[in-house]
Amino acid sequence: MNRRTVLKNLALVIGGAVLLPSCVGKDGTSYVQLKHVSIDEDGQRLIADMADTIIPKTTTPGAKDLNLPAFVLLMIDDCFDKKGQEAFVAGMKAFTAKIKKEHGKEFGDLNAKTREAILMAIEKPQVAKAKPQKNTPPDPITNFYWGVKGQTVFGYTNSQYFMTKEIVYELVPGRYIVHYPVSKLKLKTA
Amino acid sequence: MANLNIDSAKERTFDAIVIGSGISGGWAAKELTGNGLKTLVLERGRDVKHITDYPTTNKMPWEFEHRGQLPSAVMKANPIVGRCYAFGEDSQHFFVKDKEHPYVQQKPFDWIRGYQVGGKSLLWARQTQRWSDFDFEGPARDGYAVDWPIRYKDIAPWYSHVEKFAGIAGNKDGLAELPDGEFLPGFPLNDVEQYFSDHLKTHYKNRHVISARCAHLSKPNQIHIDQGRAQCQNRDLCQRGCPFGGYFSSNASTIPWAEKSGNMTLRPHSVVQSIIYDEQKGKATGVRVIDSNTKEAIEYYAKIIFVNAAALNTNLVLLNSTSSRFPNGFGNDSGVLGKFVAFHNYSANIGAEYDGLKEWTVDGRSPTSGYIPRFRNVYKQETDFLRGYACTFGGYRYQQHKYEGVGASLKEGLVKGDLSPWFVGAQFMGETIPKDTNHVSLDAKLKDDWGVPLLNVSVDYDDNDEKMKKDFIEQLTEMFTSAGFKNIRPSTDHRAPGLDIHEMGGARMGKDPKTSILNEWNQVHACKNVFVTDGACMTSTSCQNPSLTYMAITARAANHAVEELKKGNLS
Repeated sequence: MNRRTVLKNLALVIGGAVLLPSCVGKDGTSYVQLKHVSIDEDGQRLIADMADTIIPKTTTPGAKDLNLPAFVLLMIDDCFDKKGQEAFVAGMKAFTAKIKKEHGKEFGDLNAKTREAILMAIEKPQVAKAKPQKNTPPDPITNFYWGVKGQTVFGYTNSQYFMTKEIVYELVPGRYIVHYPVSKLKLKTA
Repeated sequence: MANLNIDSAKERTFDAIVIGSGISGGWAAKELTGNGLKTLVLERGRDVKHITDYPTTNKMPWEFEHRGQLPSAVMKANPIVGRCYAFGEDSQHFFVKDKEHPYVQQKPFDWIRGYQVGGKSLLWARQTQRWSDFDFEGPARDGYAVDWPIRYKDIAPWYSHVEKFAGIAGNKDGLAELPDGEFLPGFPLNDVEQYFSDHLKTHYKNRHVISARCAHLSKPNQIHIDQGRAQCQNRDLCQRGCPFGGYFSSNASTIPWAEKSGNMTLRPHSVVQSIIYDEQKGKATGVRVIDSNTKEAIEYYAKIIFVNAAALNTNLVLLNSTSSRFPNGFGNDSGVLGKFVAFHNYSANIGAEYDGLKEWTVDGRSPTSGYIPRFRNVYKQETDFLRGYACTFGGYRYQQHKYEGVGASLKEGLVKGDLSPWFVGAQFMGETIPKDTNHVSLDAKLKDDWGVPLLNVSVDYDDNDEKMKKDFIEQLTEMFTSAGFKNIRPSTDHRAPGLDIHEMGGARMGKDPKTSILNEWNQVHACKNVFVTDGACMTSTSCQNPSLTYMAITARAANHAVEELKKGNLS
C-alpha cells in the first residue's frame, strides 16, 4: 500500500465510534486534528506504519483496516497526561532520527520484515543493556514503542472486529453456570 | 418570603415532603404515597428516568470513544471521584464532579456523591446483608457510642417487607450472625469459592463463606414484574443503569411505583436549604428550597418531613436549619448533631492462587461473589480491638493471552491462550467506632452557589482500625494458607475515609435525647414530625453494607408516621 495514502481511512467510523475531526494535509491525505499534543503528518504516518506492523493485515484485518492509527492518536491526545505526551513525542523524534540514520529511509518505506525486526529489537534487545541506574528515565525510544504497541493492542482487542469475530464479547450473557468443565469453553489454546 | 399568595401556598402544601430520592428517599416516597399521602419528593439533581436516561446502558465496548478509559483531563480535574472504582467512561455522568460541589476536607475524606433522581442507588454495589442482634447490641455490650433504641425483632419484619419488594437473591444459610431473609434463589458459589467454604466449615468454628445476598432478580416474582422489572441478565454493567431493572434502584422500583400511585410530585433541581420550624406550633412546617436552575427560593409545606439527603448532606441540612428554638441546628439540643460520624474501613485486601480444581471454571457472569460474615468478637470479646470485619471472597480464572512480539504471531497470541489457575481474593470491610472527634460542621465563611454553607468534614481512622486491619491480614493469611492457597499477597493502602461510600451517623438514633438526635422511630427527639432515615441515623456501623438497613428503617419509620398521623399525634 502506498504509505502516502495509508491515513485516508483515519476518520472512518468503525462500529459507531466517534468521528474524529480531521484536516487535509499538503498531499491531500486526511490527518487527525489533535487537541493536546503536537504530532505532525510525518509523525502520524510513522505511528500508523508502526501500528500496522504490530497488527498487520494477514488473513484477517490489520491495524489500518480497523482504523487503529486514529485510535492510537486519540488515546495519546486524550488519555496520556502531559508528561506522558512529552516523553512520547521525544521518543518518536529519537526513533525517527535513528531510522533515518541507520536506514536512510522512513520507517514506512522499509519492507515488512525489516520493520518487524526493528520493532522486535526494541522489544527484546539481543545485547543485554548495562543495568540501568536507579531513577533513570526509561529509554525514550523504548517508551515510545510501548506507547504505540500498548494502544494498538488495546484498540485491536477492543475493536468490533475482534470482539465479534475473534473472542466474542457478550453484552447480555443471561447466565451464570458454575462447575463448568473447562473443555466445554472451546478456548483457542496455545 | 418567596410568595405569600394564599392559593400559591396551597399549591405548595403536601401531606409529606421527602428530601432526597436515593435508596432511602425512594422508600419513604413509596411507603408514604402507598398509604395515600400526597408526597413531594425533592431532588437536588436532575431527573433520571428508568431506561430512558441510561445513555450508555446498551453500548458495546468499542462504542466508547476511549474504550472505557477516562481522558487524563477528567482524571486530573477529579482526583476525588476519580478514585472511585465505579467511576468510568460508562458511568461518569452519574457522579458529582469534584469542582461542581466543593466541600472542606479538614482531614482527607473522599466524598463520593450522585446528585440525580435515584442518587447513588444507580451506582451501589447491591450487597444486602441483614444485621443481627450481635450488631444492634454492639454499642451497649462493648461500651461505645450509645445503645441502639431498636433491636433485631423491631426491624426484622421491615427487612422482610423491603426484601420482598426489592428482590434479594440469597440462600438460607442459617447463621445467627447474618439472619436469613425473603430470598429469591441465590447465585451459586463457583468451585473455588465452594472449596474454601467447605474448608472453613471443617477447619474453623463459625467461619463461613456464603453467596453474598444481593439486590438482583435471580427469578422475579409477580411483584417485580408489576414494577416492570425483569430477570437479571448477568451483564455486570450495573453502574450504567440496568435496562432490565435486574437490580434494585429507586429509578427502576420505588420512584415509578410511587409515581403510579398518583400521590407523588417529584421536583428535581431542588436544593433544600433548610427545614422551616414554626416556633408557635412547636413543629416543622416545611422546607426552603432553592431552584438550582433559576436560583429562586421557594417554600413547601407539609405535615411531616422525611430527611433522606444522604448521610452527610442530611447533616448539612439539619445543621443549616437554625431557629430561636434550635440555634445550633435542627433538633440539636444535645450538641451531638454532626458528631459520631463513622464509616467502613476498606483499606486492605488479600489475593492468592489455588493450584487445584483445574478442570472446572464458570460460564457467564455473576453479579455478586462470596461473603465471609463477621467472625471476630461475635459471641464475646476475644481480641485487643473492638468489633470486627466482614470480607468479600471471590475466585476467578482468565484466558492468558500472549502480548509478546509483533505481527502474525502477536495476533495469534492475543486470541489463543490457556486458562490461568484460580485466583482468589478477599476484601476487608471493617466496622469503625463512632467518636465525637469524627464530625462534620458548617464552614463559617464558604458557601455554595445556593447560599448554603460548605460542609467541613473531619473524619479519620484510629488505633482500633489499625489493629483490626492487622488482624484481617493475619487471619486471612492463615485461612488461605490452611486451604492450600499459594502466593498469598496481602495488600494495604492509605485511602482516605469516604471511598467506602458507607459514611454514617451524625444524627444518631438513641434512647436518650441528651446524647442522640433521633428516637426509636427516627423522629427528631425535639420535633416529632421530622424523620431522618438515611445513613445519618446510624448509631453504629457494624460491617454489613448498610443500604438494606436504611431501606428497612425507612419503611418502618414511614409506616409509623402514617399511623401517628391517623392518630392525630403529629398535627
